[in-house]
Amino acid sequence: MRPSLLVLAAALLAGAAGAAPVEVLVRTPAGVPLADAAVLVEPLAGVPARPRGHAPAAHAAIEQRGREFIPWMTVVQTGTSIDFPNNDTVRHHVYSFSEPKRFEIKLYAGKPGQPIVFDKPGQIDIGCNIHDWMEAHVLVVDTPYFARTGADGRATIAGVPAGRYRLRLWHPLQKAAAAPDEIEIGDAPLRQTLVLDARAREPKPHTEDDTDHY
Amino acid sequence: MSSTSLRHRIAIVFVGLLVLVMGLVLALVHSSSARIVERETQRELAVGAKVFQRLLEQNQRQLETAAGVLSADFAFREAIATQDQPTVRSVIRNHGQRIHAQVMMVTGTDGKMIATTQSTFAAGDPFPFPDLLAAAEAAGRSAGFRQMRNGQLYQVVLVPILAPTRIAWVAMGFLVDDRWARDMAGVTGLGVHIVRAGTPGLLATSGNGATGAGGAGVASVGVPLDGGLQAVLHLPVAQVQAPFELLQGRLLAVIVAAVLVFALGSVMLAGRIVRPLNDLSAAARRIALGDYAQPLPPAQGDEIGQLAGSFEQMRTGIASREDRIVRLAYVDELTDLPNRTRFLEAFGRLTPGGGGAVMVVNIDRFALINNALGHLVGDRLLRAVAGQLQPLVPPGGILARLWGDQFAFLLEGAGVDAARGFADAVLAALRDPVTLDGQRLDIEAGVGIALYPDDGLDAATLLRRAELALAAAKRRHSGVAFASETGAEPAHEQLSLIGDMRRALLAGEFTLAYQPKLALGSGRIVAVEALLRWQHPERGSIAPARFIPFAEQTGFIREITPWVLETAVRQAAVWHAAGFDIAVSANLSTLDLLDPYLGRRVRGLLEAHAVPARRLCLEITESALMDDPAQAQAHLDELAALGIKLSIDDYGVGQASLAYLKSLPVDELKLDRSFITAITESPRNAAIVESTIMLSHALGLSVVAEGVETQAELRWLREHGCDIAQGYGIARPMTAAQLQDWLADFVAKTTA
Repeated sequence: MRPSLLVLAAALLAGAAGAAPVEVLVRTPAGVPLADAAVLVEPLAGVPARPRGHAPAAHAAIEQRGREFIPWMTVVQTGTSIDFPNNDTVRHHVYSFSEPKRFEIKLYAGKPGQPIVFDKPGQIDIGCNIHDWMEAHVLVVDTPYFARTGADGRATIAGVPAGRYRLRLWHPLQKAAAAPDEIEIGDAPLRQTLVLDARAREPKPHTEDDTDHY
Repeated sequence: MSSTSLRHRIAIVFVGLLVLVMGLVLALVHSSSARIVERETQRELAVGAKVFQRLLEQNQRQLETAAGVLSADFAFREAIATQDQPTVRSVIRNHGQRIHAQVMMVTGTDGKMIATTQSTFAAGDPFPFPDLLAAAEAAGRSAGFRQMRNGQLYQVVLVPILAPTRIAWVAMGFLVDDRWARDMAGVTGLGVHIVRAGTPGLLATSGNGATGAGGAGVASVGVPLDGGLQAVLHLPVAQVQAPFELLQGRLLAVIVAAVLVFALGSVMLAGRIVRPLNDLSAAARRIALGDYAQPLPPAQGDEIGQLAGSFEQMRTGIASREDRIVRLAYVDELTDLPNRTRFLEAFGRLTPGGGGAVMVVNIDRFALINNALGHLVGDRLLRAVAGQLQPLVPPGGILARLWGDQFAFLLEGAGVDAARGFADAVLAALRDPVTLDGQRLDIEAGVGIALYPDDGLDAATLLRRAELALAAAKRRHSGVAFASETGAEPAHEQLSLIGDMRRALLAGEFTLAYQPKLALGSGRIVAVEALLRWQHPERGSIAPARFIPFAEQTGFIREITPWVLETAVRQAAVWHAAGFDIAVSANLSTLDLLDPYLGRRVRGLLEAHAVPARRLCLEITESALMDDPAQAQAHLDELAALGIKLSIDDYGVGQASLAYLKSLPVDELKLDRSFITAITESPRNAAIVESTIMLSHALGLSVVAEGVETQAELRWLREHGCDIAQGYGIARPMTAAQLQDWLADFVAKTTA
């Protein structure tokens, strides 16, 4: 969780001089707060209204610990490079067959030599060829304004300049893409509750753990 | 026959019971077999169905696992992810061969096919089994039996391709054909047939068994598969029945063998039981036929043996009893000689026409000896006589004791001369004195002979004739007499005698002669005996011995006696009126004594002629008394009550004992003349007469001696206390008129 908190803190600091933050609560149709949902604020006009000085952190990491990818879901802006440090004692074989970014880091330990640069927007599903239950999802977006809901289903996006935007939700296990909302961001903080039909993440069993059989 | 049937019955009962029990066992086994077969069939079907289902599940899991492993292959996934048609087709063909899947189809998550090994499909076509897809989306994977367009049946497994999220589905089809069905049949032991409900054809079949479900001899169960398919499992009932039929067959063989063994055993056992019974029944038949001699076979220790033992006891018991009965029937207990019955039987066995002699021997004055010396001495005397006669019996002859002192010989083939010679030998043998207790007894005997067939054709006649001859011999003191010499007149003469007697009675040919009786003490004539005389107009005087027995025999004596009594009483009346103090004696026969009017008639006579009762004396023979002793005694009592004197005539020749006579109202005893005849010569006779006189006096009877012929006898009698004497030595019988003259003479003589 710490890396994502760092990202959030950076965003907050960057948007401190901007307009009021957007606060969103995401719930499932059953009313349960939905964690790990990506909340995107996209400008209606095609201009990336991002001041250069507020260059986003072009670097992220998805570490492997306890034979799990952490974090499970990551949102990055196009062009971000992601490291896949291995903090386990076993080696991992990280791969992605997803169209926006195909890659493969064959059996390795520790930090691989080169981070992977995600240069196309889209959804990338990452797995480990050795541990079938390990998975991670990366959403690569063009907009710099995005956030990920916490366990309480809330996310806050700060530093968005006033203007008209499209508010979009995404979740790796969503059943259907939700229709985006249009929002007007002014001085006052915008608070919205949105509904997304998605399954919450269920940790998959570590099928390898039944070592007794061997 | 009864023995075989018993043997058969035992065998039949034993074998029948066994057959019954075995039949029940067989029926029980049969019915439970049927039940067990039924149950076993159901159980095997159920087990088979369960195994089949389990096998299907296992198969499916294996296929799923295999498919899962295949779908997880990195290279496979990588190839699929390329979305390059030729590459994808190539990889599914290659990997399909790895797990022997005949059909491989890759379908996108949108339900459209990406690649397939089936030429009948093209990329972009919708997946042919959307239901499987829906099920896989819900459960992660799915499987089912599906028919492809080529008509073949496949077990299709649908698994996702994960990278790591699901990027596509891969369907793998495994051919379900007859071989598959045979494999399943091999494991389940049931016939396996896959059908589509509502259609007739078989999609796959293991081949064996009937095609239709529920055919004869086949039990079946249906296991529903998915997609409207059904697996029909067949079990031939015969297959279940086989061991039971084998069991029943063997049981039947065992039963048949057991029945045979049992039948043989029970027949043998029955034989062992029945054989001794047969022996027993054979022995019983022998006994029934009178053969007691053969002992029974030795008995065993069992119940039949005990029965045989009892049988043996019975046999010996019967044998000894029959022995005794035969002895009693045919043997005289006293002398051990054959008895009268045996004698008659022996006569029956005479050779017809062979001739023979019947000879009756009688000891003189035996009754007197018996009375004087006692029965024991008499019996011993008889035994001694038997002992003397026994050695004389010639071969083929027989000596029997008829009764009392009467013995009889039967001499087969003997004629007159042989009989006479034999009779002499008998008399000679009996002349040897008999010694009893050191006392010598002189005995004399008479012999009467009747010849067969001249004197009679049957034993009874011959015996009677011989007895008559014996009586004649005694009368004549000749020792021996032949029936032909003394025999009765020819039959026609006897018949005319009856008519003669009746006529004689009417014509007054009968007269009475009177013989005086002398009182030895006083020397006076105290009485006379009236004796019947017959003066036949043609034959002259007929001896009383010739006609009186005949009159008694024919019953005519009952007409004569009243005349005798009346005449005697009338004469007594005359003498009484004339002043003679004499009593008149008259003889009564057996028939007279039994006449119920006797007493009344006698009283009437006495009253009618005014004669005191004491002037009448009635003489009765011993034999007359013995015929009906009770009746005789009653009538004698009646007569005695009138005051009439009663006298026993011919005492000593009969069987009456003094003890019996004592009980009768008798006054007088008349000793038979045969005793008197030789008293002065035979000390034996003398002793007998003397003791008889003494005994009579002791009993209060007066004694009359008959047949006194000499003065010596008269003197002896007087000396030995005899009361009265009668005989030629005193006076012959005479008419009433002669008697009066004789009495006058006698009185004159004695008083002179």
